[in-house]
Amino acid sequence: MTTLIQAKNLSKSYGTHQALKSVDFSVERGRIVGLVGPNGAGKTTVLKAILGLTSYEGELKVLGLDPNRQRHEIMQKVSFIADVAVLPRWLKVSNALEFVTEVHPNFNLERAKHFLAKTNIPMSAKVKELSKGMVAQLHLALVMSIEAELLVLDEPTLGLDILYRKEFYNQLLAEFFDEGRSILVTTHQIEEIENLLTDLIFIRDGKIVLNDSMDKVSENYIEVMVSKDDAEKAEALNPVMQRDVFGRKVYLFEGVSREELEPLGELHSPSVADLFVAKMKEGK
Amino acid sequence: MNTFKALIKREYWENQGSMFYSPVIMALFFAGITILLAITGDSLVIENGHHSGFWEHLPRALDQFENLNEQDRSRGVQIGLYASSAVFVLVMLIISFFYCLSSLYDERKDRSILFWKSLPISDTTTVLSKVVSVCILVPLCYFVVIGAFQLFLLVFSTIVAWFGGNSGMSIWGSSNLFGVLFNTLFSLITVSLWLAPVWGWLMLASSYAKKVAFLWGVLPVLMVTIAEGWIFRSSYFIEMVAERFAKAGLILGSNIGQLVSENEMDGLSIMWYEAYGTSAFWIGLMVAAGFIAASIYVRRSRDEA
Repeated sequence: MTTLIQAKNLSKSYGTHQALKSVDFSVERGRIVGLVGPNGAGKTTVLKAILGLTSYEGELKVLGLDPNRQRHEIMQKVSFIADVAVLPRWLKVSNALEFVTEVHPNFNLERAKHFLAKTNIPMSAKVKELSKGMVAQLHLALVMSIEAELLVLDEPTLGLDILYRKEFYNQLLAEFFDEGRSILVTTHQIEEIENLLTDLIFIRDGKIVLNDSMDKVSENYIEVMVSKDDAEKAEALNPVMQRDVFGRKVYLFEGVSREELEPLGELHSPSVADLFVAKMKEGK
Repeated sequence: MNTFKALIKREYWENQGSMFYSPVIMALFFAGITILLAITGDSLVIENGHHSGFWEHLPRALDQFENLNEQDRSRGVQIGLYASSAVFVLVMLIISFFYCLSSLYDERKDRSILFWKSLPISDTTTVLSKVVSVCILVPLCYFVVIGAFQLFLLVFSTIVAWFGGNSGMSIWGSSNLFGVLFNTLFSLITVSLWLAPVWGWLMLASSYAKKVAFLWGVLPVLMVTIAEGWIFRSSYFIEMVAERFAKAGLILGSNIGQLVSENEMDGLSIMWYEAYGTSAFWIGLMVAAGFIAASIYVRRSRDEA
């Protein structure tokens, strides 16, 4: 099975507010998918639906199972970090390991001990005695020791300082990710993960506005730095966005060929952040 | 892999303080007071400047004790042992009350529910582990401490008896120790099961409350009572609730009650094993099952965590 998540016409309403408007997407095995959108766009709703934490309308299959009815089977193969600060404060590190070992059929205790040995986290400490960064390390150590096929991360590095944030993703890539697994991640710090991602999904007002592999994205979207004199020529090609940088103009084009753009100036791939801004402003 | 056992341990880790350390501290405190009273017994001024003369009177008291007939002696010792557990039981019921109120509320308040839900454990298993904790684990913890305290009382009385020139053997002989321990354990568990509808209700309130679970637990009871009084000019509901608690007290008191007098307590005594023969007990369990099923449903279906 290569498709881990398959969503068709996925919708969700909170009262009269439609948080998700008939969304389609899929996540294949071996991919790292970034789900990006402004606050309230529906990112967390998507993740909650996948994890069986909320009801929804439409069709959704996670590892071929129905998240609403087969949540606890799904959780044997899917792990998630909702936020770094959800480990209970009273829990002792050693007890956390003991507990997960006993309840999770796919947890590898030796691996978790190995990860923890590389940190300064004492086994006898309670979560409330650890720093925020250490709690994140502990949570990551637990989750990476689960032989999961899908890892879902919802703002996993929120509130962490930059050192831990970098290390968090580095470790995830080095120790967890391989072609048999997938990672689905949402974050506000896009620039931190853009080099890890293989796929990108933008979501706005409950709708998907971009859903492509990173390769496709860099083929489709091209940024050109144009001198003032060529500005008119560039604008004739319908750029999606423009901004001024040091007296020159930077235009972002969608679906315009390289050959057409090359005469205008230097070409490069836009950063995900710039692309995001463009996509969020589109049509407004 | 043993999910249920792990969940019970989890409850114990989280509530070690109220489940175990509270009674232990109480036991140490009472033991300390007992020892202190004995040591300072002679210098206690009871009335009109007279010393109590504890050690002075001790040999005479022991003689009197020895001269009692077998049955009275045994009654005396057993009543003493049962009575020593009374305060512990009261505390146990209070902590059970607050345990249930926080059982499905705290995890949402501190958002740790997102961690628990990231593990392959069904909501049913989780909620049932909390029910078993309050009905079995809590009574068991309190029993261990009460039992240890009862043993301490016997050992301590024996030592005191030695000072009074008595072997202390008849204290042990009259204690019916295993019977007392057995009855203590089962009356604790029975009373917790008897109160299961109360625990179930509190857990439902705990799973539902957005804020101040305590109010969700208590206010509806008051509101139903007031509404009933207003509309029907009756008070069946609150009488029913009060009767539940009153009979819990009877179940607990009957260990002593039946020792004091078998005849006069007729109709007012419910030994723990008699509770299982009442329909009220089983109806209570069914009501509890309803509340617990509702709690499971609420925990599973709410998503704002």
